[in-house]
Amino acid sequence: MASIDLDKMLEKIKSTQWALSDIDWDAPGAELITEEQWPKLKEFMADLMWIEHVGARAFAALSKKAPTDTLREIYSYFHAEEQRHANAEMALMRRWGMLDGDEIPEPNVNLRIVIEWLDRFADEMPVYVLGTVVPMLEIALDGALCTFLLETVEDPVCHQAFEKINDDESRHLGVGFTVMEMQGRSASYIKMVQMMARVMDPRLILGIASYMPLLNKMRDNVIAMGLPEEKLYKAMQKFERIGGRTEEGRRNPWFQLIKQHGRWVTNRSNKAYHVPVDALVKITGLVPRKALPAVPSWVKELTYEPVATR
Amino acid sequence: MSESSNAKKASAGKKAPARRKSAAKKAATARKAAARKAPAKRAPAVTPVSVLIVGAGFAGLGMAIRLKQAGIDDFVILERGNAVGGTWRDNQYPGAACDIPSNLYSYSFAPNPNWSRSFSGSQEILDYIHHLVAEFDLEKHIRFEKNVADLSFDEKTGVWTATTDKKERFAGRAAIMAQGPLSNCSFPNITGIDDFAGKKIHSARWDHDYDFTGKNVAVIGTGASGIQIIPELVNVAKHVKVFQRTPGWVLPRPDFSTPEWNKLLFKKLPASQQAMRNLLYWTHESMALAVIWNSPLTRIAERVAKLHLRRQVKDRWLRRQLTPDFTIGCKRVLVSNDYYPALQKDNAKLITWPIARISEKGVRTVEGIEHQVDCIVFATGFDVSNSGTPFPVKGRGGRVLGEQWKGGAQAYKSINVAGFPNLFMTFGPNSGPGHNSALVYMESQLEYALKGIRKIIGENLKVLDVKEEVQQRYNKSIQKRLAKTNWNSGCKSWYLTEDGFNATMYPGFATQYAAQMADFREDDYETA
Ligand SMILES: Cc1cc2nc3c(=O)[nH]c(=O)nc-3n(C[C@H](O)[C@H](O)[C@H](O)COP(=O)(O)OP(=O)(O)OC[C@H]3O[C@@H](n4cnc5c(N)ncnc54)[C@H](O)[C@@H]3O)c2cc1C
Ligand SMILES: [Fe+2]
Ligand SMILES: [Fe+2]
Repeated sequence: MASIDLDKMLEKIKSTQWALSDIDWDAPGAELITEEQWPKLKEFMADLMWIEHVGARAFAALSKKAPTDTLREIYSYFHAEEQRHANAEMALMRRWGMLDGDEIPEPNVNLRIVIEWLDRFADEMPVYVLGTVVPMLEIALDGALCTFLLETVEDPVCHQAFEKINDDESRHLGVGFTVMEMQGRSASYIKMVQMMARVMDPRLILGIASYMPLLNKMRDNVIAMGLPEEKLYKAMQKFERIGGRTEEGRRNPWFQLIKQHGRWVTNRSNKAYHVPVDALVKITGLVPRKALPAVPSWVKELTYEPVATR
Repeated sequence: MSESSNAKKASAGKKAPARRKSAAKKAATARKAAARKAPAKRAPAVTPVSVLIVGAGFAGLGMAIRLKQAGIDDFVILERGNAVGGTWRDNQYPGAACDIPSNLYSYSFAPNPNWSRSFSGSQEILDYIHHLVAEFDLEKHIRFEKNVADLSFDEKTGVWTATTDKKERFAGRAAIMAQGPLSNCSFPNITGIDDFAGKKIHSARWDHDYDFTGKNVAVIGTGASGIQIIPELVNVAKHVKVFQRTPGWVLPRPDFSTPEWNKLLFKKLPASQQAMRNLLYWTHESMALAVIWNSPLTRIAERVAKLHLRRQVKDRWLRRQLTPDFTIGCKRVLVSNDYYPALQKDNAKLITWPIARISEKGVRTVEGIEHQVDCIVFATGFDVSNSGTPFPVKGRGGRVLGEQWKGGAQAYKSINVAGFPNLFMTFGPNSGPGHNSALVYMESQLEYALKGIRKIIGENLKVLDVKEEVQQRYNKSIQKRLAKTNWNSGCKSWYLTEDGFNATMYPGFATQYAAQMADFREDDYETA
């Protein structure tokens, strides 16, 4: 598969936008959520919504860093689109009576740590790091989790919303992989060494340390919802399959790194990885919320209201 | 283009009867001429004046004053509006003001000791313009509501003829194109803009009858006009949402009112005002080093702007949204003390999501939300053509200027174009200042044009045409110098054409520009 034409992609993105008001959030079907499903779904949706939001912040960083005008503009759209996904998911939660009043659901601690990391360091990360991590997150968390959801939830409004969300996601992935290939094409040996040297950057280590437990935590969520974890792994293998489909993609050292990480995650018998990471999940689960710094103000932009009058 | 109702008000009392009389006389002459050549198919010839000026803004009026001071009195100014003032007649939005100190943003040949503040408001500048018209008795030369639609040169007679959209014709031996670089505006091409059922206002065509009290307002655009309007609107409207695409660099504005003793000093001792002007001039000249080229001063200017932002905005995310990602100077540098604080008021909000479309009730942004408002203010700037002309201009042998400029506009010293004799442009290609008063540049253009006009009249020339090769040599060097400037450093702005050709800015100090314009070389021109 050849890389996509980014200028055409930008035009397409601009001309095919949707809004929350395109969906009737009060249409019948909410009653199809079973009582048994409800509590787990609530936690799952809260996490999903936050993952969208975290993805949004990563795209915000990319929109400042990307090497061309076109890419910068594409990423600024993706930033807003991920926010739209989070908003739409919040609207679904509200429809299902999962919001306490008007409150934004609390992010879990792993997410709080990722949010904190993004807020502090995302803008300083080199574009090739984010450009590779983001597609991975998109496939593993965003894309895969959405698919699961549709298999368990029958509410037609949910399906309507996710049809739109998935359309956006497929474009995010198309661009993500194209960029990985672009990077692989231009990465000279020196740049590769530079990239590797970055791994030693303590800020990046922090990022990885917060990203790893997040994946394991989501795996736990998925299982709690009664879904086979293999589905998550299959989605992550998709990253390896698509990202590695071309020579250029494979040559991107970051792809190699993330791919390797994906393999560890999906291999439960790899104790060397899972024992410490699961422990991290547990430990972070114990971190008292008060110990975390106040949420950055970009978090407060979320809303489930299709219309804002002020 | 319809002018703002305010412009109409401003001009109401000013339409001098002299204007009618002279227009009537002109029409009579035209009728007589028509009668003589009755059966001829071609439109009858019009008796040419010495100089035909298009536009009664600062440039056109300045030219008129210099002509008068030089003893040339038979000239006509064609103005499509019904009042003088151009930019300052049209831009009467709340908060409108110049961002170059008034003592520098005025003509040195007609100083005003009474400026009330260091950066005067739009109304005060307009008053100054009206004062110029009165003092130099220009009204009788102005023909209002003459919208020039065509400007053509006849080589045999050596005469330029301007034809208006109503097919009236005016002729002159020399012609001045002073129609303004920023005089045309329109609503931007945003999907759904016509669906909006609320009120739409363009910053340069303000509707003074619309009451913002208690209204929800959207402002689209955060350039020079936007940042002046926003603080004013936040003061009166119920809620203001500001839609920003790209943040600009904002420097603090050292604005203060002029103490009475100072006005008195300027009046009694004009030399002191000249000294002030000189000081301001050189301060702005030194800004060129920061704004035009990427130098250590550029970093310092960026540091000052960042400190200004840091001091006024405490929230990290908002600061990030407001931090530009291009070199300072690449686009117009903004100056304001009250823009950042206004954005942080309870009834204001900055929105940086891209706009998806405009709907019946408001603005839909890509994060999926419809922001419903009563009124949308478009501070989206002007229709600038840096690769065409606002109306057809036809020179020797029927050549069309817009066609020659397709790949980007070009001129000799920004003022003449080969093949278009006896034609002088104010604000022509590569005459834009990035750091200093436009009027400083304008003055040197007016002096240059005056020299050319004197030559045409004095030697009774039909043709004074810059040589093609002279123009080419000039442009080669200009483009070479431009390549090293911040404007051409890779950011998009209205200074550049779609292909990144810079036909707008002058790559140097105002002093350099003035020196080049002070030097009128006869052998650069072909005469006949
Ligand atoms: C909001 C704003 C703020 C500015 N602030 C500054 C500043 O602080 N410092 C600075 O140096 N510059 C500033 N400028 C730039 C400003 O445009 C120039 O300084 C100057 O006013 C331009 O004068 P002008 O006579 O060339 O053009 P204009 O003032 O635009 O006058 C042109 C006149 O020509 C008329 N006209 C146009 N087309 C036709 C036609 N076809 N037929 C007949 N008449 C026609 C118009 O109606 C208008 O009256 C500012 C511009 C704007 C818009
Ligand atoms: Fe998403
Ligand atoms: Fe996505």
